[in-house]
This record gives sequence, C-alpha cells and structure tokens, in this order.
Amino acid sequence: MPERVDICIVGSGFGGSISAYRLAELYRAAGESPSVMVLERGRRHKHTDFRQSMDIENLSSIYGLVQGQGAQIVVGDGVGGGSNFYLAASLRSPRETFERRDRHPDDGPARRVWPSQLSRATLDPYYARVEAALRVQRPTWKQVAKSGGLWAKTLNSAGHSCDRVPLAIDLDRCIQAKWCHTGCIYGAKNSVITNYLAAAEQLGVQVRPNSQAELITQSTARPYRYVVNFSEIDNDGDDATRQPTGREFQIECKVLILSAGAMGNAPLLMRSRPALPSLSSQTGKHLGINGDHIAAVEYDEAKVRDVLALPGYGQIYKGNHITTMTYDFWTDKPGNAGDGKRFTLQEIYLSPLAHTLYDDGRDPAGSPSFFGLQKKEGLSTFNNHIEILAMVEDTHDGEFIAPPPSGSHVRPNAGPLGVGPFTYELSAQSVAVREAADAAIRTVVQRSGLARFMKLTFRNAFASHPLGGCRMAESKDHGVVDHRNEVFDNEGLFCIDSSAVPTSLGVNPSLTISAVSERAVAQLIDRAADYGLPAKPPGFAPGRPGVSLGPHTTPVRRSSDDAIDAKVRSYA
Amino acid sequence: MGTRDPSIPLQVPEEIAGLLSRRDILRRASVLSLGGLVLSALPAADRILAAVQPAEAAVNLADATLQAVADTLIPGRLASITDLGHEIHPKAIAGAHHEPGAVETDALALFHNPLIGFDALEPAFLTEVETRSLLRGGQFLDLPFAKRVAVAVDGLDPNNPSIVVWEAAIAVAFTSFMSAATQRNATIDTASGYQVMGYPGTAPNGYAEYSYRRKLSREVTSNGSLP
Repeated sequence: MPERVDICIVGSGFGGSISAYRLAELYRAAGESPSVMVLERGRRHKHTDFRQSMDIENLSSIYGLVQGQGAQIVVGDGVGGGSNFYLAASLRSPRETFERRDRHPDDGPARRVWPSQLSRATLDPYYARVEAALRVQRPTWKQVAKSGGLWAKTLNSAGHSCDRVPLAIDLDRCIQAKWCHTGCIYGAKNSVITNYLAAAEQLGVQVRPNSQAELITQSTARPYRYVVNFSEIDNDGDDATRQPTGREFQIECKVLILSAGAMGNAPLLMRSRPALPSLSSQTGKHLGINGDHIAAVEYDEAKVRDVLALPGYGQIYKGNHITTMTYDFWTDKPGNAGDGKRFTLQEIYLSPLAHTLYDDGRDPAGSPSFFGLQKKEGLSTFNNHIEILAMVEDTHDGEFIAPPPSGSHVRPNAGPLGVGPFTYELSAQSVAVREAADAAIRTVVQRSGLARFMKLTFRNAFASHPLGGCRMAESKDHGVVDHRNEVFDNEGLFCIDSSAVPTSLGVNPSLTISAVSERAVAQLIDRAADYGLPAKPPGFAPGRPGVSLGPHTTPVRRSSDDAIDAKVRSYA
Repeated sequence: MGTRDPSIPLQVPEEIAGLLSRRDILRRASVLSLGGLVLSALPAADRILAAVQPAEAAVNLADATLQAVADTLIPGRLASITDLGHEIHPKAIAGAHHEPGAVETDALALFHNPLIGFDALEPAFLTEVETRSLLRGGQFLDLPFAKRVAVAVDGLDPNNPSIVVWEAAIAVAFTSFMSAATQRNATIDTASGYQVMGYPGTAPNGYAEYSYRRKLSREVTSNGSLP
C-alpha cells in the first residue's frame, strides 16, 4: 500500500521549494496541516557542511557534471538543488524575451514561442514576490567586485554602458570570497534552504532527502491521481556510493509537481510514458542552455593603469561572482526584427577550473593553444583574467534521446561525472549569435591593446543553466505544459521549474524560473478545490518566507588584504 | 603553415607547427585511423615488449606514462615529489616549463581516484598513447617533449576515433592543476597549481579590499533589469 499525501513534489530547487512553501501557506490558511511531501535525490546540506574547496570528494557530494552528446551540463545535487550553488545574480528577463518569435528551424510554424498569458508585465508581480523572498538587492558601486568594475570601466572607455547586477545575497554578511560555487559556508547567499524551503518545513512540509523518483503511474483511487515510485539513494558518509540502495517506495498523491529540473523532468516523464500515454510528443525536446556562451579576457595590468586609470588589478578572486553587465548589444536590436540576434555580456567568475575552457594563440608559436606551453602561459596570468558570460538568444537545440533505466543520467561511480541521454547540436542561429557575442567582446577589450580575448576552446556547449525539455506552449503540438505549467491532458500533473521555460532568457535564469513558479502555484491555489485540496480561503494572500540560516557560523572578515596580497605576489 | 617568430625556439616538429589551436585542428583532415596506426605499429610494439621486463612494465611504466602525459598537457619544471609527497618518475617530466606543472599537482593520484573512474580507461588509453608514440620513434616516456606534444595533438584530433580517452585525460590533468582536486581546502601554500595561477584558494575570512569603490560606468536601468 503506497504512502498517501495530497501533494508530492519531486525536487527541492527553486520550483519545488516555492511550490512547497506556497501550498503550505494554503493549508495553514485553511486551518490544516500541510499534506505535502518533497522528494529529493540528493542529501541534505547545512551551511556548516559546505567547504571552500574544489577537491574531488567535495565536488562529488554537491555536483553532477552530465556529459551528453555535444554538451556538458552542470547540475546541483542536494536539498535546495541548484540554489545552493548558484551565483545569486537575480535579474528580470527583458520584455523582448517573452515576445520572441524566432525558433529552431524544425520547430513548427511562426508564432510567439511563450504562451500569450506570459509576458514581462504579467510576470512582474511574481518577480517582485520572489525578489522579496530572496532578499534581492543591488550592490552599490562600493560593493562591485574589482573584476566587475574592470569590466564596467572597459565598456565605459569603449563608449558602452554597464549596469550593476542585483544579487540574492546578504551583502552585510557576505565576506566577498568568491566561493558561492561550492555553497556559502556562512549562509550569506539566499539559497532556498534559508528561506522558501526552510519556511515550508517550519509550516509542516515533509522533505525526504536521498529519494530519487523513478516512475510515475496513474492511480485509480480517486481523488488520488498518481503513484510515484522512488529509490533510496546512498548519499551519506565518506563511502557513499551515490547509487540506489535497492530499497524502493511508493507515494500516491492527488497532485504531482515535477521540479527535478530540465535535466530531471523529461527523463522521468519519458520513462513513465507507458503509463501516461497522453503525454505530448514534444516531451524531451527543446532542451536549452539559456544561450550560455563564455569567454575570458586577459588584461595587461600596465594598460589597466595607463588606459583605464585604475590602480591595477591582479585580483580576479575577490568580491562577488557577478556584479556588472551590459545591455547595449540587446537594446540596439528592438522588436521582433532583432529576435535571435540579441545578447547580454556579463562579467562572471565561475571557478578556477573554468579556465580549462579558454585559449588563444600566443607564444611559443607553433605549439598548440588548448594544452601545453601556451595553455600554461595563459594560466600563469589567471589573476589578471576576467570571464564574460554572454547570454544569447539561441534556439533550444538539445533533445533527450531515451531515458536511462534509473534517475536522470548514468552515474558510473560515486564521482561527479555522469553520462546523459541527450544530444546537443547548435543551430546556425545559435552559432551565429555566439560569434557575434565573441566579436563584440573582442572589439571592446582589444581597444588600445588593453587586453587579449580568449575564446572558448570547445564549440560543444558547456552550461550550468539547463532549460526546457518540458516547455510551456499554447498547445500540445508545441509543448508539454500549458501556461499554468500543467501537463497537457494529464490533470493534476505539473512541471514547475526550469524544464518549462521555452526560450533562453538573456539573463541568469533563477529569478525567472522562480517567478514562473510563483505564478504557476498561484494558479494552482486558485483552483485547489478542483484537485481535492483545501479550497483557497477568502482573503488568502501569499506572505514572505522568513530567513532561517539553520546551523551556521558567524563570518569574520579580514580587516586588511596586505598579507594575502603580499603572499600572492611572492609566488608570482 | 603559419609563420613564426624565429627568435622563439621551435617546440614541436615542423609537421604540426601550423596547428595553432584546436580550431585549426577541426579543419584538418584525419591522416590515419587508429586501426591503421595499430597495424603499422605492431612490429615495433613487439620489439619493445620483448625488451621490457614484464613486471616493471606492468606497474611502473604505466604510472610513469600517465605522469608524462600530464606533463605534456600542463608542462612543468623538473621535480622529484608531488605536492602530496608522492614520487615522480625520473623520466616523467620533460622540464619544458620553469614553474610547477600538472605532475607536481598530483595528477597521477587523480587519475587513480575512484571518484574519477579513469582506471577503467587506463589500459585503452595507454595502448592508444604507446601506439601513437611508436610512430614518433619510441615509448612515450622516451620521447622528447616536442614529440610528446605531437602524440597528444594526434590523440586530441577530433577525427581520432579514440579522442574520448584523451579528453578524459586532459580533464584529469587540468582538474588536478586548476582545482587542487586531490587536496581538501587547498591554499596557495599547499597547491603548486594555485601558486602558478596566483590564486589564494580557500578564503574563510574573505577579502576587505575587493572593490575599486567608485562608479565606473554609465548605467541604463534604474534597478539593474531592463523593462
């Protein structure tokens, strides 16, 4: 006999946590305890569990690097999902994103890609709701990292504008160490384990870590609609295998919300297709990477002083990961005529390892540039680099081929590397807009011999922003879910997360994923009684989740960098 | 063939001197399939295997060759022990660069780390390396740096049907160097890759002087987001 709950949520990232919290509010407003269960494949992390370290044991416990055919995609692993490891840039997608009509060549007739109900205007109230919950704030110029300031000044000297990027970070608590990518050890970053999910648990939502959804079938016991089979995963301890233990369970629910992300939802639905025969034929198609395209810039420090009148650089590793970006290559292409040509350019710090990805031609001439002596020379100037993330208007070019027997990808051992059942081949538009972004960066940074442009070595897509696979659309012919994120022809089954996003966004996607999720769950709450859930009480209004850090330590920031700066110089 | 500065010593054979980047390689047609390489190298392989003590070849040569591959991918100075104190085979590092390379950052330990899983690829990879090396004149360990580079360029040619094992190897060497992946909470004092890069590593107290602390550009939005 399966365990029964009203609502089962698969995945605990932004979409899952927002759904859990808002539905818990509904139950409490109706005077009931929430009957909401969240299943999470990964383990539970406290802030005190995170470490500022890229050792392989640490990476294995927090990340998956999924290799498909033509792309590598990074996914977060653990309660809180990708929110533990995002870099907290929190931007509303520009108006043009929702009006786009460009698309992949074989992607149906000309049309607005997003459903008509979604636009920047209709999403603005939900953006505001998320910004309040995640405590988004825009840094002052005194809080902009040197790497971001250098990008701003470089753009400015070339006649361009550059804006500061709003962040979901408590800047009073942040120590400016640029270690968001392995989880904030102090809880200064507002990941969902400090707000939405923590608040949901306080309201009575159950979170079950180490639980990997494997199969969905339909229930015949109305008002229950779906049964989820899930496996226990061995995630804890030094000798964790991160594989199923062999113990399997079932949960039966009235409403099933899939929030396992773009890399998780489509494989799960595809594996469940025999029991869900009315799924759209689009399931697993149109996987995107938010138009991510990265490059690096190597500055000549003397030119930084002489041309930009800044007091040197050599400190890529200080400050927040993302603080500045330009919209100039977006706003100069207005209207649908500009569709597929726009991009933004954002200064970003991914990690030292990301510098695997860049190369150029330099001395010694005649040696290869992507490894060996040229690569070594490029690495020796690391602390005078910045990285640029171009977020381009590409077409979602990926597709899942077939689901693996278990989970979302094949993980051959307990390490972070896995193999994903998907292909990714950039379309002509996706290549052209990336080349335009490269050309723009090159023109800006090579002015006055200021810096050298370092191109992405591998054309294969490398991304940490997977989107789509279960995209929303006007009709089942073009997508998997409707504008309310409900799977076409499958009542009570929802995809509320990145998998529903149908286009690249021009900005880092977390805020839009969250705003679309807020909208979806608000629509669900409006019709809650139709699904056998507590009816929305009169006057019900969503609140703001409190901040709950859980076990944490108090940050102590150094008062002067003189000692560490001298040490770095001593090794130069 | 591209032109080069004659004052810079040539580091690789003339036949690959024009291969300035992977993008050039992408445009280059394959010269030989791996099958062809194996067939043409078999007589030489027989001679080498007959001349090597089996026990020594089975253990020491394999690790030494992996170290030599790592040194080819991120070259370093001559050294005898790694950051973690492990021994470096005397023939592994070619000494092509004056600062620490991937071998010193314990690339070999990462090759053998079960969380990486490279051990499953190792036999095929070493066969691939040695087969290509024989065409360049001998075992990989005995090749001069320039010829080691030539072997790696061939292995990383997109037309090489075995490129995947080379890509795995390059990922291990780079991860070892740039992430100090064999060290828990590495710092610039403990990780020689970080020393080369000028990267402090773990920073639990963060930084105080992280900003230029002034407005540096004109802005176009009032809140950071476009309408």
